[in-house]
Amino acid sequence: MKKTTAAFAAVLALALTAAPASAADQLHLYNWNNYIAPETIKRFEQQCKCEVVQTYYSDNEELLAKLAAGAKGYDILVPTSNAVQALIRGGQLKPIDKAQLPNLKNIDPTYLNTPFDPGNQYSVPYAMSTTIIGYNDEKMKELGLPTDTWAVIFDPKYLEKVKGRVTVLDSSSELFAAALKYLGYSANDTDPKHWDEATALIKKAKPYWAAFNASSYIKELTVGNIWLVHGYSNDIFQANLDAQAAGRKFHILQGMPKEGAVLALDNMVIHKSAPRPDLSLKFMNFMLEGKNSAELTNLIGSGNPNKDALQYIKPEIKTLPAVFPPKELQGKLEQLKDLTVAQRRLRNKQWTEIKASR
Amino acid sequence: MSVAPIGHRIGRWLVSGPPLLYLVVFFAAPTLIMVLASFRTPGEFGGLAPLIDESGKLDLNVEAYTRFLTEPIYFEIFLKSVWYALVTTLICLLLAYPLAVLIAKSPKKYRDLLLLLVILPFWSNFLIRIYAWMIILGPNAALARAVNSVLGWWGAEPVPLLFSSFAVLVCLVYVHLPFMVLPLYANLEKHDQALLDAAQDLGANAWHRFWRITFPLSLPGVYAGAALVFIPALGIFAIPDILGGPNDSLIGNLIKQQFLETRDWPFGSVLSIVLTLAALALAGFAAWVGRRNGGFGGPERA
Repeated sequence: MKKTTAAFAAVLALALTAAPASAADQLHLYNWNNYIAPETIKRFEQQCKCEVVQTYYSDNEELLAKLAAGAKGYDILVPTSNAVQALIRGGQLKPIDKAQLPNLKNIDPTYLNTPFDPGNQYSVPYAMSTTIIGYNDEKMKELGLPTDTWAVIFDPKYLEKVKGRVTVLDSSSELFAAALKYLGYSANDTDPKHWDEATALIKKAKPYWAAFNASSYIKELTVGNIWLVHGYSNDIFQANLDAQAAGRKFHILQGMPKEGAVLALDNMVIHKSAPRPDLSLKFMNFMLEGKNSAELTNLIGSGNPNKDALQYIKPEIKTLPAVFPPKELQGKLEQLKDLTVAQRRLRNKQWTEIKASR
Repeated sequence: MSVAPIGHRIGRWLVSGPPLLYLVVFFAAPTLIMVLASFRTPGEFGGLAPLIDESGKLDLNVEAYTRFLTEPIYFEIFLKSVWYALVTTLICLLLAYPLAVLIAKSPKKYRDLLLLLVILPFWSNFLIRIYAWMIILGPNAALARAVNSVLGWWGAEPVPLLFSSFAVLVCLVYVHLPFMVLPLYANLEKHDQALLDAAQDLGANAWHRFWRITFPLSLPGVYAGAALVFIPALGIFAIPDILGGPNDSLIGNLIKQQFLETRDWPFGSVLSIVLTLAALALAGFAAWVGRRNGGFGGPERA
């Protein structure tokens, strides 16, 4: 009894002494789930003698909704470019003092000074992904289906062979982008006629799809229930790691459609009411170091805009076209732009019709 | 008794005050905010546009309402949700009634244990329980294989169980079943055995005893259970999101979309108001029917 009391007192004392020290220096990182390597966090904490407190969101919309509703207390956010633009227009971000970011020179200029944030006043690139085709190599080979075209997701000619084994993302912007690309338009096309065409295309393909799914397709691919998906390159990479770890005979591979695809560039930004802008800049500069940036790519197979990171990245990841797109493909990748209120309303109506159609 | 003693009145306020305050803060105020939001314009980059626009005019409009009324697709989805919620309520009632009778009739010492078993699922997280159904219903699980081999004997095409309306309904029923069992049990447990004995002495068979005595007496429990199941089932979005197929988008999903993907708070508010009104109308209807059927002499009335 005495022993336990003593142990309890010790734990309590430890907790009491540890608490104030950590409360003083904290960086609040509001990030995508599993979007930074644990060893990277540890190293930063040692370097800055601070604690990194992470909270997570699962999509940009969740982040935007939370901030629009007045959430505070975050230092760093990692939104995709179109959400960065929305946050800038909404006056939610703090401009960056680039003199504090000597490592910004490591970023490939292709990904700097984009229309979303001209001159990178508010944002610096963090990591990328593409929205592509993911497939079970064994099944696709067996069925003789192509894996380099959106046709396999949209054309009933191919779909009837995989009926009920296909999922597409439950995201109107991503699915419309893929459909528009397949039809030969830009992913950012806003002509209502082209949207109607895309709607018709999606409606025709829908009976062959098992579900609109953004949350569990990784697992379904891994266990072999689903053979073909419209999904994010990181997720498909993860599904293959899981399948191999589980000793499956098949692989889950990435298919880059020849028609082109959506590129999502995620950026570090500082929230306007960040409690610690000083630590935020230190963190940004730290993450712009090639070695730290490469750790994320090695962990989740994300694309990397950091030239200095390449030397640290595993060779088997460096050769994946969906992660490091070759030059001839780069022109076909598009970042999604934000829609206006009227466009969003039309999109929602079409999306609802798609969801309700038989 | 026109003037109550002061102490009595203070006591009454102390008792009714906190729940009233709770309702004002957590129901009336948010509902008013929602009603106001439904007349405003969505902000270009999310949230709401300023209430006073650049020209200094008050920016209030009924655009979101016109949209709901002129585009039938939204009303169709609303009706579909009502249908799912109704079916869920009926299945819950059919499954919960025998269970509640069984618990109410079992020896006293087992009742607490049986009730504990009914609420046991609440000990694990709602989402985890939905994900568990993904495994149970998956195409390689025993259930789907058994069903499809039976279908195979009949020469029918195999059917997927996961990602279907069936999966959504199964999970809706599973999640809401305790909400039907508990009020039914609370009611049935209070029934007077002497009434049934008297009926039997007068020659009523088991069916008559149930239909003429037990069932009418249990109606208040049925209404309470039906309201507790129907209302949450009407607004749910997680279950169709996770288990539903391509056609299983319900009103809850539609509302979620307005606040997230579409960033259209006014329209989301309109849809939420419609949902709230439907729930209120139903609760009112249940209360009204309950009062009318009070003539049967339900135990609640005593």
